[in-house]
Amino acid sequence: MRKFVCALMAFSLLLLAGCSGNQTNQAGQSGPVTITVWHDKEDAIIAVLEEALKALEPNIHVVFEKKTGMTESLKLVGNDRNTAPDMYLFAHDKIGVYAEMGILTPITELLGDDALAGYVPLTVKGVTYKEHVYQVPLYFETLLFMYNKKYMAHSDIPSTTEELYAYMQRKTKYGHYGFVEQHSTPYYAAGWIHGFGGSLITNTGVPCLDSSQVKATLAYHKKFVDYMPGETEYATVNTLFIEGMAHTTIAGPWFIPTVREAGIDVGIAPMPVVDETGLPLAPYSGIQGLHVLKVKIQQNKDSIIKVLEVLMKPEVSVALAKVSGCAPAVESCYTLEEVISDPLIMAMKQTAEIAIPMPNIPEMDVMWTVTGNLLTNVNMSGQDVDTAASNAQKKALELIEAMK
Amino acid sequence: MKILVAIVLCLMMLPMLPAMAEDAEMIIVYASVPADWSWPCIWAWSSDGTNAFASWPGDMMEPDAANEGWYYIYLPAGMESVIINANDGGVQTDEIKIDKKSAWVTVADDKTAAVFFEAQTAGEAPAYTERFTVHAQVDASWKNPCIWAWADPAGTNAFAAWPGRVMKPNENGWYLAKVPVWCNSIIINGNAGSVQTADIKDLDPANLWVSVHADATFEVTYEDPTAPKADDITVYAKVPEEWASPSLWAWSHPDGTNAFVSWPGEALIAGDDGWYAITVPGWINSVIINANEGSVQTTDLRVDAGKDLYVTVISAQEATVAYEKPAE
Repeated sequence: MRKFVCALMAFSLLLLAGCSGNQTNQAGQSGPVTITVWHDKEDAIIAVLEEALKALEPNIHVVFEKKTGMTESLKLVGNDRNTAPDMYLFAHDKIGVYAEMGILTPITELLGDDALAGYVPLTVKGVTYKEHVYQVPLYFETLLFMYNKKYMAHSDIPSTTEELYAYMQRKTKYGHYGFVEQHSTPYYAAGWIHGFGGSLITNTGVPCLDSSQVKATLAYHKKFVDYMPGETEYATVNTLFIEGMAHTTIAGPWFIPTVREAGIDVGIAPMPVVDETGLPLAPYSGIQGLHVLKVKIQQNKDSIIKVLEVLMKPEVSVALAKVSGCAPAVESCYTLEEVISDPLIMAMKQTAEIAIPMPNIPEMDVMWTVTGNLLTNVNMSGQDVDTAASNAQKKALELIEAMK
Repeated sequence: MKILVAIVLCLMMLPMLPAMAEDAEMIIVYASVPADWSWPCIWAWSSDGTNAFASWPGDMMEPDAANEGWYYIYLPAGMESVIINANDGGVQTDEIKIDKKSAWVTVADDKTAAVFFEAQTAGEAPAYTERFTVHAQVDASWKNPCIWAWADPAGTNAFAAWPGRVMKPNENGWYLAKVPVWCNSIIINGNAGSVQTADIKDLDPANLWVSVHADATFEVTYEDPTAPKADDITVYAKVPEEWASPSLWAWSHPDGTNAFVSWPGEALIAGDDGWYAITVPGWINSVIINANEGSVQTTDLRVDAGKDLYVTVISAQEATVAYEKPAE
């Protein structure tokens, strides 16, 4: 009888375990698994992800933590099992740094070698470092040429940089600006440098700041700077455009909701072509997606895979595109009417064809600061281009050597 | 043949469709007012509490050159009630029901109003156009300043005859007038057009301010020189003992304009009374207090713009904001 009771109890326990919504995590603890994702995104984007991930509740609960200064925090705690998140949502450009630090897991180890088979090629290229894929792309973004339709007629849209310059000369007066951009910020200046056929750094990590193309860009671009306000950091440029003080700007899609909220009738136009080279301004593109921290794989591997699989669905990409104005990373989304009919998304897709993924090599980490200083020295301090470029190149080489 | 004529007529009407669609979203209100009502304005609203204009006395009505004594203005189609007022809001009618329809209002000397829904004016109403405001400050020798406006190089004039629209005097010493957005050139003139500026050309359709000197030279700006400047504010903070070297990160929500260039922002300065402090632009409305080189931080704290703040940080998750120094 005792054996029968014991057997019955054991059977009952098995049944209960089978009925439970909980799952056993990799550490052997039974119960709901909490997956933590650090991010720096707007609430609307996170709301889309949270809605999609409701399907995993209650077994897997995903917590999105907004972190200011996230990239530095990851350097500090990315290897700390107790503090690091399971994943982070960010642009792809830090992949090289974190991969070399050994804190990232290639997502192909979780999802298989053909995990990104259906993705836009630009995104796959951007998230691959030393032949390993380190990110599940959600969407991508590039800078866009925006204009205030109240001021700029369609016939005035500049097709070349010289046309843009002529417009600036005509319209920059009385406190209004024909065109403003963050001229001394490398992310924005890169588009001009690419338009001259140059780059900030080679694929193998050699800086190019004293190249003839970079120097030609700086010398040519200076005349545009002369028609912009002295301070052209993010805040100033954005404020000038949303307050109707600037006719045109180059900005990311994240700026569009704010612009529309301000009542600006904004248009998107193709990037002007540099007259001298025949090449368009070609901005960097940022691929935003999920990166997995190696330190959490042992503990939460199965749950992390489930989260990624949910967020890789095309409908999530489309929903993200709608709230962010960015372009879906999944190629099949571009057969859907709701995507094709969105001029902003399609402008992004069009610009992506000329855009260049931000370098994800570790050496790029030092280039932002060095290039920023070079731009400031030329654009705002009036330094000679050759001298400033030569000094910047030396500094970049020193810092890269120090990294090694 | 009839079918062909019908098709041709339809094709001829195609260009008119956008204009008709736009008109369907607007109604026009005309008013005639007593002689001592200067610069009539209109205040309009709907029953759900939506106001057509941001603040009293509403928007200035335009004189209709083809119907002397009548002023007009276009309103959003949903407006149900209006008040006609004048003399900077010093005189006004009671509420006048227009029930979302175009209306003609006559105001008697005793401020009573009669409303008509059939045209009381001759001819077609002027077409709807957006307008921007030109402000002018002129030398005291320039009496009754007027504005002349036109589209260059088309040569289309905004007003029927020189010297153009009389500008409304304001208490702050500036005059103002509204100009259609299709105008890109103006002249400010005075003394019945006997003194004037040169052509002020290639303007944007945006509010602008023109300062005119006695010799007719002028300065133009799109930035309101009379606007109050936002004063800086001070942010005070108290943080837990283990929060070393606290900094402030501050920005304007929702446009995302940051007060500082990069995270973690600017260091707060320790005061003798246990409060850290820093001065920042008065337009910020969101702050984060952080410390330990930005590795520990509060959540986003929404605050009132333009006021000194006292932020007491209990932990990364808990912080209180006050606008007066909390009692110890």
